[in-house]
Amino acid sequence: MRPDSNLETLMARYQQGDPDAAATLVDQVSPQLHRFFIVRLGNRADADDLLQETWLRIHKVRHTYRASEPALPWFYAIARHIRVDHYRKSVRNTLGERNLEAISKDAATAPAEYDRAAGLEALLAPLPESQREVIEMLKVEGMSLEEVARATSSSVGSVKQKVHRAYKKLRETISATGFKRDQSEGLS
Amino acid sequence: MKDEDIDDVLKRAARAPVELEQETLQRVTDSIKLSLRPVRPLPPNWVMAGGLVLVCGAVSVAGAARAGFLGFEKMDIFERALIFSALIALAWVAAIGFVHEMIPGSLRRLSPGALLGSVTVTLLAVLAFLFRDYRTDHFLSLGVICLVTGLVHSVPVVLLSWLLLRRGFALNTITAGLVAGMLGGLAGVGVLELHCPNFQAAHVLVWHTAVVPVSGAAGALVAWALRFRTSLNERSSRKI
Repeated sequence: MRPDSNLETLMARYQQGDPDAAATLVDQVSPQLHRFFIVRLGNRADADDLLQETWLRIHKVRHTYRASEPALPWFYAIARHIRVDHYRKSVRNTLGERNLEAISKDAATAPAEYDRAAGLEALLAPLPESQREVIEMLKVEGMSLEEVARATSSSVGSVKQKVHRAYKKLRETISATGFKRDQSEGLS
Repeated sequence: MKDEDIDDVLKRAARAPVELEQETLQRVTDSIKLSLRPVRPLPPNWVMAGGLVLVCGAVSVAGAARAGFLGFEKMDIFERALIFSALIALAWVAAIGFVHEMIPGSLRRLSPGALLGSVTVTLLAVLAFLFRDYRTDHFLSLGVICLVTGLVHSVPVVLLSWLLLRRGFALNTITAGLVAGMLGGLAGVGVLELHCPNFQAAHVLVWHTAVVPVSGAAGALVAWALRFRTSLNERSSRKI
C-alpha cells in the first residue's frame, strides 16, 4: 500500500485546521518532496530551503485542494512550481541570459552530495528537463500516468509520449556510451 | 541495456531511503502551525465555470445593448441558434480551462495552446458554414473596427474573471493569461455577433474570429509582463 493512501483525508482535516493532520502530512510527504528537489539540486541545504518554501506555499494555498481529487499530484504541482521558480531565479541571479535547460544540465553534471542522487542523475542526464521529471515521478516516486499528468499540468497523452521518447533516448544513449552496470550499482 | 534494466535502476533509486533531518521537519511543522486555521475550499469547477460563462454573457449583452443588436436582428432563427449555442459551448470549454489553470493538480485534456487552436478552428468552422457572402467591401477599414471592438469588450471579461477566481493559484501565469484572454475574446466575438450587421464571409471569418487568438496572445503577454515586473522588483529589493 502506498504511504499516501490517506493523504486526501489528512488534507481535508488540514483544511479544517487540525494541527495533528498538518504534522502528519509534513512527516509523510516531505521525504518524497525532498528527494524531488535533491535529485535535481544535488545540494542538501538548497533542498531543505525549497522544501520549507514549498510547505509555506502549500499552507498559503491549501484551500485550492479539492477533497475529491488525489492529493499527491497537488503537492507535486506546487513543488514543481517552486523548483521551476528557483531555477528561474538562479538564471537571473547568476547567469543572466542563459536558459533553463543549460542550468538543469549544470545541475545534472555538478558533483552531487548524495551518490544515489548522482547515479540517478547520471542515468537521466541525457534527457530534457520535461522528460526527466516525468520519469522521476512515474518510475522513482511510483505515481500513475494520470497523477503525473496532474502534477505537470499536462494531458495523459503528453505524459505517455514523454515517457516513450525518454526510454528511446535512454536506450540510444546507453547503447552508444554503455552505461556500466557498476555505475547503476551506486543506486542500490 | 533493456527497458527492464532501466526500470530496475530507477526502482532501486526509489527504494533508497531519504535522509531528511527531524529538525527540518519540525521547523516546517512549526512554521505551519503558527497560522493554522480552518479555510473554505474552493467551490466545484462547474460553479466557477458557470460564473465565468455568465460574466461572458453579461458583458456581451451589455456591450451589444449599448451599440445596438443589429447583427442579431438580421440573423434568422437557425443562424442565431447555431452561432450562440456554439459560442456558449466554447465559452464553457474556455472557462473550464481557466478554472484548471487556477487550481494546482487539475487534469487537463488539452494544453492551453491546443485549447486556443481548437476553439479558434471550431469557431471558424461554424462561421464558415453559416456565412456565404464572399464579397470583400471595406475589408480592412470595417474589419479593424470590429477587431478593436471585440478586444475592448474582452478586457472587462478578463478582469472580472480574475476577480472571480482570485482565490485560485496559477502555477503558470502566462498560460493562465492566455486562457483568460481567450475567454475574454469569446465574449468579444459575442458582442460582434450580436451587433455587427456585416455578414460578408471574409469579414466575419478573419476579423471576428481573430478576436479570440489576439485576445489570448494579449492575455499571455500581459501576464508575462506582470511576472517580469515582479521579478525585477524582487531583484531590486534584494540589491537594496
